[in-house]
Amino acid sequence: MDPILPYIATAGAALGLLIVLTGRAVAVRGGGGLLGLASLAWLFGLAGGLPGEAGDVAEEIFFLIFALTAVASAVQMISQKRPVYSALFFVLVIMSVCGALVMLEAFFIAFALVIVYAGAILITYMFVLMLAQQASDSSHAGEIPHYDRFPRDPCAAVVVAALVMGVVVSAAFTGLGDLPPAAGETARLQADAALLRSLPGQVKREASRAGVSLREGETAPQIEVEGGDVVLRGQGADGEATTMVLTRPGNTSHVGWTLVASFPASLELAGVILLMAMFGAVVLARREMEHAERELTRAVGGGDDDADTGADA
Amino acid sequence: MMLLAAESMTQASLAHALLLSGVLLSIGIAGFLSKRNLIVMFLCTELMFQAVIIAMVAFGRWYWDFSGQVFVIFILTVAAAEAALALALVVLLHRRRSTLDAEAWTELRE
Repeated sequence: MDPILPYIATAGAALGLLIVLTGRAVAVRGGGGLLGLASLAWLFGLAGGLPGEAGDVAEEIFFLIFALTAVASAVQMISQKRPVYSALFFVLVIMSVCGALVMLEAFFIAFALVIVYAGAILITYMFVLMLAQQASDSSHAGEIPHYDRFPRDPCAAVVVAALVMGVVVSAAFTGLGDLPPAAGETARLQADAALLRSLPGQVKREASRAGVSLREGETAPQIEVEGGDVVLRGQGADGEATTMVLTRPGNTSHVGWTLVASFPASLELAGVILLMAMFGAVVLARREMEHAERELTRAVGGGDDDADTGADA
Repeated sequence: MMLLAAESMTQASLAHALLLSGVLLSIGIAGFLSKRNLIVMFLCTELMFQAVIIAMVAFGRWYWDFSGQVFVIFILTVAAAEAALALALVVLLHRRRSTLDAEAWTELRE
C-alpha cells in the first residue's frame, strides 16, 4: 500500500465535510456527504489491510456499520440549522458509539453512556434549547435566527479538523506496529484469576453452592489457571481434593474492581467535583431567579428592590 | 462473554477504532469552530468526549487493562458537571442579551 493513500482519503473526507457545511442546494450537500462517506469507507478499508491475522468478521462488520452511522449522524449534527435537530442527531451518535463500544467488549461503559448521556445530559440540553428558543422566537415563531443559518468560517474549521485527522491517520497507519502485542487469551485468564483472588467471598459462595469447601489457610493460592479455565483447588464433601471450574468474572466486575481498588482517591474526587458542580449550578440559577424577580417587580411597578430580595432571601 | 470472540485484538480493529475516534474528534472540532450557537458549540465538545471515550476503550482492550474504562467513568463525571455549569452559564448569558449567538460577546476580546 502506498503510504500517501490514507492522506488522500482524509483530504477527500474533509472536502466532503466542507461541501456539506457550505453547500446551498440539497443535492450539492448530499453529493458532499456521499463523497465524505465514500472517502471514509476507503480509509477504513485501507486500515483493514494492516498486518496481522484476520479477526472475527461479524464483529468487524458490525463495528464498521456503527462507525459509519456515528460519523454520518455527527456530520448531520454539525450541519443542521436547527439546534434541536443537532441535539437529536447527537443522541443517534451516542447510540452508535455505544454499539461500537459493545463490539469493543466494554459492556458496562456502553450502557452507562446510554443512561447518562442519552438519558440525562441530552435531556438537559434539550430543556435549555427549548427554553431559549421559546423566549427568542415568540414574536416570529418558526424562523431560524441568522446565527444558526450561517456557519462562521467553515473553511478554516475544516482545515483545522483535517490537520487533526491527518495526525490520527499517521498514528493509526504507521505507529501501531511499534505497540507491544495485544493481550491474548492467556492474559485474560490471568486477569480473571487475579480478580477472583481478590474476591474470596464470592469464590467461597460459588464453591459452597457446588458442594466444594475451601482448604485451610488463604484462599488466593488455591485459585489457578488450568487449561482454558480458572479453577479452584478445594476439597469435596468427603475431604478429598477436588478441582472446580470457576465462573469467569464479566466486564462489570473488572471495571468495578479496578475503580475501587486502583483509583479510590479519584473516586472521592469525582464525588467532590459533582458536588461542586451542583453548588455552582444552584448559585448561578439562584442569582438569575432574583434577577428575574426584580424585573417582574419593576414591570408591575410596585415594591422596591431591596425589600423584595430581602424577603426572598 | 461468549457472545464475542475472546481472541486478541487485531491491529486492523485497533486502527478502525482509532480512526472512528479521530473522525469524531475532527468533526467535533470543525463544529466547535464553525457553529455560532453557544449550545451547539457545547454539544460539539460532548462529541469530542465521545471520540476520547472510544480511543480509551480501544487501547484498554488492546492491553486488556480496565483503567481505560475506569477513566471513561471519570470523563462521564466531568462531562455531567461541565454540562450542568455550562448550560447554567448559557442560560444566564441568554437572559442578558436574549440571543444564543457567540458573537454577541466579542467585546471581551480587547
